[in-house]
Amino acid sequence: MHPLLENRQRLAFYLIAWLPIAAILSVILKRDASPWLETLLLAPPMSGLYAFMCLSAWYVCLIAPLRGPSIARSLGTLGAASGLSSAIWILLGELWAIALDPWMTTPGLSDHYSTQAATAFAIGMLLYLLAAAAHYILIAVDQHREAEKATLEMQVLAREAELKALRAQIDPHFLFNSLNSISALTVSDPQGARRMCLLLADFLRSSLVLGAKKEIPVSDELHLVERFLDIEKVRYGKRLSVVRNVDPNCNGCLVPPLLIQPLVENAIRHGIAPLVEGGTIRMDVQREGTALEIILENPVDSTGEPMPKDGAGVGLENVRSRLAKLFANEAVVGVSQENSRFQVRLRFPCVQFGETR
Amino acid sequence: MTAIRIVVADDEDLARSLVREYLKDSIDVQIVAECANGFQAVKAVTELKPDLLLLDIQMPRLDGFEVLDLVGRETNVIFITAYDQYAIRAFDVHAVDYLLKPFSAERLAEALDRARRKIAKGESTTPTALATEGRAPGTKQDRILIRDGSDVHVIPVAKIDYVEAQDDYVCYRAEGKRLLKQQTLADAEAVLDAARFVRIHRSYILNVDRLAKLELYAKDSHAAILRDGTRLPVSRSGYSRLNALIG
Repeated sequence: MHPLLENRQRLAFYLIAWLPIAAILSVILKRDASPWLETLLLAPPMSGLYAFMCLSAWYVCLIAPLRGPSIARSLGTLGAASGLSSAIWILLGELWAIALDPWMTTPGLSDHYSTQAATAFAIGMLLYLLAAAAHYILIAVDQHREAEKATLEMQVLAREAELKALRAQIDPHFLFNSLNSISALTVSDPQGARRMCLLLADFLRSSLVLGAKKEIPVSDELHLVERFLDIEKVRYGKRLSVVRNVDPNCNGCLVPPLLIQPLVENAIRHGIAPLVEGGTIRMDVQREGTALEIILENPVDSTGEPMPKDGAGVGLENVRSRLAKLFANEAVVGVSQENSRFQVRLRFPCVQFGETR
Repeated sequence: MTAIRIVVADDEDLARSLVREYLKDSIDVQIVAECANGFQAVKAVTELKPDLLLLDIQMPRLDGFEVLDLVGRETNVIFITAYDQYAIRAFDVHAVDYLLKPFSAERLAEALDRARRKIAKGESTTPTALATEGRAPGTKQDRILIRDGSDVHVIPVAKIDYVEAQDDYVCYRAEGKRLLKQQTLADAEAVLDAARFVRIHRSYILNVDRLAKLELYAKDSHAAILRDGTRLPVSRSGYSRLNALIG
């Protein structure tokens, strides 16, 4: 569908642009001795007709793009189209003049018209080329708008994918168990219930905000980890204790968001939860020269199943692939189990904001 | 009306306190024990013989399914879980009642009503197939649990030599010990990893790692000689299953 015909507002603007053209044409075609009415019967209808004929330029513009190797051929096509249109238009005008002739007070309208035909033909070609130029602009604007829309759609899709990944990462067990804890606390410890709500809200909000970023300072990630641990402390009580050893020099190092938190979650789920007495999680974040080293250690039930190396699993695989994407083979992810301690060790270059890697 | 006697098993203090609070005002319900892990739950059920067990699935030592496996025939069970899609599907298939955390006092009361009716009719709730179906696929059990009084023996699957049917029981042979469990040989076969355990005979399942050699015993029948010298009969279909596995 033609972009002007399908949009009334655009069509109205287009036709208004033709009013001055109709006026100019009237002046050119006027016979000195005859009244204005005669010219008004001829020039405005011709202008109106040509306004619609020029709409055909759109199709010519589509098949004759003004870029690429075929530009010369495009110009040729355009010239031919303008000549043909103008010729048809002049001919139709002549017929109209002949039809009007008998009704005129002074005869010879069609003869006069014929003398002006060459000028009118040139004007017709010029108008057609102007219309073509307008159409090229219109097409370019539409294409630009389409491209912008596509980019926006892509951005929305990427964001949705991120959120989906995030949803998959926040363990539903964690969420529902936390809600259950709140439910339990409401009567026995209303203050505690409120605190738990706030912790949970803070944790969820931080994971959404941080998760949308590509990289965050380690200190932000550790804040998220602390919120998570606060919540889990409410659930596990004395069974969960944590020893941290965080070098403040590391705080500016950049990490992909939600890198450490899922590992802490694994340590609790596969390490602390199966133990009747619980245990202690160790978290070390250290600078080793230009590298950042993160070590997470948790106890495991020596009588039960070993810590699932792959199953610890989905989280660990995720960490590995994200670090590989950022640091290629400069990132090391090591997993080991000795006696009843399970350890995950991450080592990758410490890059701060503004630095290039 | 006598009160229903309930055992609550959940590893989280807060989760247990919630159940306690919900049941505080019910006169016809009595909590006789609270357990923080699976072993405690098995012990409590064996010793106290409650009418009903409120059982969380995720617990240390023994999970809810393992507890059910050990005491399922003796008591009615209402499962509790936060989120466990496979378990929930299995519960729905077998019409086993469950509560999703967080649950309301009304929801708990409904479940208790249903359990009360079942107890009055003398029905037992829980089919044994539940444990195998309720676990996520690919998480085959790597140990066998056998209850001896209120004690629980844990046999790692790799330590089992063979399993033998004995009337209403199944006898597990591991590290020179014989441990009896009340189940059918088909139940045992369903639990054991088919890549390692073969039904060689109507009455025997063999751990193929223990097989030393096969002897032709009579026409159409073989005997399996284990590494420790034990001889087990191998039926014709058992022989072809064994061949299919070790090829």
